[in-house]
Amino acid sequence: MAAPANTAKEAALLRPITGVRPGLILGSLVTGALAGLLFFSWGYQIKNDIGVAGINRPVFWGFYITNFVFWIGISHAGTLISAILRVTSAEWRRPVTRCAEAITVFALTIGGLFPLIHLGRPWLFWFMIPFPNSRGLWPNFRSPLVWDMMAIGTYLTGSVLYLLLPLLPDMAILRDRAMAETPASLKARLFSFMALGWRGTTQQWHSLEAGIKVMAVIIIPVAVSVHTIVSWDFSMTLAPMWHSTIFGPYFVVGAIYSGIGVLMVAMYLLRRGLGLQEYLNDKVFNNLGLLFVAFTVIWTYFTAAEHITVWYGHEPSEMAVFWERVSGDYALVFWGMILVNTVIPLAVLSFRWGRKPFATAVVGFGVLIGMWIERFLIVVGTLRLPRMEFTVGTYSPSWVELGILVGSFGMFAMLYFLFVQFAPIVSLWEVREGDHIAGSAAASPEPVTEEAVR
Amino acid sequence: MTDPGWTHAAFAKPSDAQDALERLAEAGVAASEIEVRSSIPLGHEVCPVGPQVHSRVPLMAVLGGLMGGTIAILLVTLTSRAYPLPTGGMPIVPLPTAGVITFEGLALGAILCTVATVFFECRLPRLGVPAGPFDRMLADGSIVIAVRSDRVPSQWAAKATATAPTESQ
Repeated sequence: MAAPANTAKEAALLRPITGVRPGLILGSLVTGALAGLLFFSWGYQIKNDIGVAGINRPVFWGFYITNFVFWIGISHAGTLISAILRVTSAEWRRPVTRCAEAITVFALTIGGLFPLIHLGRPWLFWFMIPFPNSRGLWPNFRSPLVWDMMAIGTYLTGSVLYLLLPLLPDMAILRDRAMAETPASLKARLFSFMALGWRGTTQQWHSLEAGIKVMAVIIIPVAVSVHTIVSWDFSMTLAPMWHSTIFGPYFVVGAIYSGIGVLMVAMYLLRRGLGLQEYLNDKVFNNLGLLFVAFTVIWTYFTAAEHITVWYGHEPSEMAVFWERVSGDYALVFWGMILVNTVIPLAVLSFRWGRKPFATAVVGFGVLIGMWIERFLIVVGTLRLPRMEFTVGTYSPSWVELGILVGSFGMFAMLYFLFVQFAPIVSLWEVREGDHIAGSAAASPEPVTEEAVR
Repeated sequence: MTDPGWTHAAFAKPSDAQDALERLAEAGVAASEIEVRSSIPLGHEVCPVGPQVHSRVPLMAVLGGLMGGTIAILLVTLTSRAYPLPTGGMPIVPLPTAGVITFEGLALGAILCTVATVFFECRLPRLGVPAGPFDRMLADGSIVIAVRSDRVPSQWAAKATATAPTESQ
């Protein structure tokens, strides 16, 4: 066959879609309840106003903006990594791309909620949209917050389309199977709708491949711009340890770093939970582990450069924030961050024995915690110690903020659980294409170069 | 195609499908009367002899980018000038900040135009189209060739794993 459909291999992948998996349903319900916590807490805040949150003068940005930056960073797991792997024609990308792209869409959706939550009065969100409101005002395009909305809107639109375009052929495969077996079923009709009439003609494949390639090229600078602009929310101010020229690339590196971390955790859970060992094999974890090591080094380099420059300048208000992190109130979490973001990843993933699925997932989970701490230190650490010393304050989150934080993780997991039951979490046609290419290369009488099978 | 007048054949191997296409070409069947379908992109490995498929996606992405960028810069410029804020002598439309919005508009225009072009070239969405005779085999990895011609040679699908007679759908 052109693309030998390895039915045994694909059965494991399609089981959550074609059958009923109690574990997945239970998982959806539990995580759905956690997601409910987010909406309950948010609803409580809307009813009782923003004062129920712990944010107060001078810490006006607390958990909400920390979570916003964190989730937008997580969103760099998918589309950006997937696009880079596609552009570089890395063959091992095939089982990874869809689970990564789904992470992007869900993380962006959740990240995009936090500015609304932080508004306190979310119904006034439309003031940000560029059309004349009742007072004849337009958004101030000089504001990084407006840039945020434009960048996140573009990235979310691009990421959703980048996820859905390659999904069409897989939906057609599911449709054709369902129509042959149970043509009147709800699933058959749903897959028919989602496939949009995809037939797999030569022209359709040619256009789709061209579209995916072009999208991959466009989405890389967009993803970089998104987190650069998020960093400018901070660095465009003169606040200590925010006004930094390297904040853009520092944020982008941190975003990709945390993105790979969540990807590793998600891939390990998918592998274990759905029995996808044949797709998400040791080679994939090894390669992602190597990428992880590279980003560990780059993130550590940026963190060191950021702190050494401040220390050498010795500007008093900057040094107050510096010492708060290194030996002050936040020293424990700061050095904890260094431990999970630098020491452990290098100690484990530098060796081949460490780049195994379980170890990489554990390291990835640690990096997730570390990167959340990094966002917290940046947001709250600076705001607590502004340049005017008489406004020094403290911050501790209320149960509303904690509920929304926990709920956001629940919502992310719930969306992932639902997606796994609706669409193949590994791209069927891309894996088949990879098998076909590998089969052709193996059957070729010409000597096969390493480049050809990469 | 499910219209009457099409003959369908399913092939297990690309080489068998290509062999069938060559036989059709020898019999003078035009590429426009042949449709090749597969569950993976086969590129030019299996395609009818004749004009090659092409796509204008890259060109349309560039045009979409130019359009999106232009709309974004107009949005920033016109709205800022319509309600000028007091800027203390600084420009009403500073280029660096307008550049950020322009870049995002450019990217959004390119993305939307890319997807719209893919849909246009693929003739999507086409909901309600009935299933073809070998769609199930297509889903399992076969290559399906459909021919609409009265000059179809009898042995063109000799290597097929299954065929559906003309006007059988």
